[in-house]
Amino acid sequence: MSERVILCIGTKKGLFVAESGKGRRKFELRGPFGAGVAVFSALIDTRGTPRLYASSCNPFFGMKVLRSTDLGRKFKETRSAPEFPKGDGRALANIWSLEAGNNKKDLWCGVEPAALFRSGDGGDSWEMVPGISNHEHAPKWQPGNGGLCMHTILRDGNRVHLGISTGGHYLSEDGGEKFTASNKGVGAGFAPDPYPEFGQCVHKIAGHKDAPGRLYMQNHGGWADWDGPGGPRPDIGVLRSDDHGKSWRSIAKGLPSDFGFPIVVHPHDPDTVYVFPLEPMPRTCPGGVPAVWRSEDGGDSWKPIKRGLPKKNTYFTVLRDGMDIDDLKSPALYFGTTTGQLWMGRDGGEEWECLFDALPPINCVKVAVV
Amino acid sequence: MPVTVRIPAVLRAYCNGARQLSLSAPTVRAALVELERTHPALYRSVCDETDTVRRHVNLFVNTTHVRDLAGLDTLLAAGDEIVILPAVSGG
Repeated sequence: MSERVILCIGTKKGLFVAESGKGRRKFELRGPFGAGVAVFSALIDTRGTPRLYASSCNPFFGMKVLRSTDLGRKFKETRSAPEFPKGDGRALANIWSLEAGNNKKDLWCGVEPAALFRSGDGGDSWEMVPGISNHEHAPKWQPGNGGLCMHTILRDGNRVHLGISTGGHYLSEDGGEKFTASNKGVGAGFAPDPYPEFGQCVHKIAGHKDAPGRLYMQNHGGWADWDGPGGPRPDIGVLRSDDHGKSWRSIAKGLPSDFGFPIVVHPHDPDTVYVFPLEPMPRTCPGGVPAVWRSEDGGDSWKPIKRGLPKKNTYFTVLRDGMDIDDLKSPALYFGTTTGQLWMGRDGGEEWECLFDALPPINCVKVAVV
Repeated sequence: MPVTVRIPAVLRAYCNGARQLSLSAPTVRAALVELERTHPALYRSVCDETDTVRRHVNLFVNTTHVRDLAGLDTLLAAGDEIVILPAVSGG
């Protein structure tokens, strides 16, 4: 079969799958799967026969993990979802991240309340990773507005980067056994100490395989006008690390707002990074004008890319997993909105078109070419 | 105490499609423990990892909600029915 572009779109009312040829001229939509149940995370696992996974946050009967082996034509629940051990005292509230591990059926999963689980059999059974789930800091982490979520899992050899809101960035250098808070330079606007050891409201972290020491972070910004203890904290929202996440520096200068949720790196160029700035308080498009902002020099400068997007009166939000990019030669960027629109930006976001304009509110968008 | 547990349609996939299960238990709590042993996926859909009944799941003994009886310590009599029902909620 020729290459297909597959989109997993997690919404408030279930998972949708969109499929197109690699020309991306017409997407066929399927779903909703797990109908009526919110989906906050999805994974298109391209190792071997492609498998699609999605979390299904059932408010009645608890979390389920959905799996498809036919590119999203049908889904079945895996035999079990992650669950905290008996006597732990915590109960699973949501699944925020699903990532591929080392072996073909190895999966990693970040949950709410913040904890990490692994599966060695494609999601049929799960085991909690104690090094972070029972970290001495864990009782002090606090939920953000979205909940106390582990939303980012980035793996680079034996290094594992985790993003927790609000816990901050945690780094393991031994494959996930031991984790250390690694937040030097990551600001917090809601604490008297502007640079605490941990407890930052990290929104998303992204990296690139060709620049393994470099990471980009969308942190909780919007504190330039803060007049509480510690004073204003401008530009703490968009950050970069060049030492495997051990220290971070601001790259927010030039953006209309340093608040936002997603951050995405170009698949063929680690210097090209995308954010979706939002006004800090309403968390909507600044001035009612949506735009993805792109840096082609690793965050030194930024430009809006918005041709084809609405020019006014637009007040949606793009959530932390609501933006992704495919890896075709001329990649397309995709974002989904809380107003149920799915946008695609050809040529790395140069030209936008709305693929679907009336889906349920979108929580996450994942794309892969299979 | 031999009792019947009535399963809502949405949960029957976790007990091979059964509409009802028969078991023996002196209390509602003991019935749930038995469900956990025999049908763990069904139990997990009714109770979370702390063994708390999920917020949007209601348990009745015959026609009375267990909250109006003795909660999970409600005593069961032979022939009682435990009815599992999802609450009305959503948006």
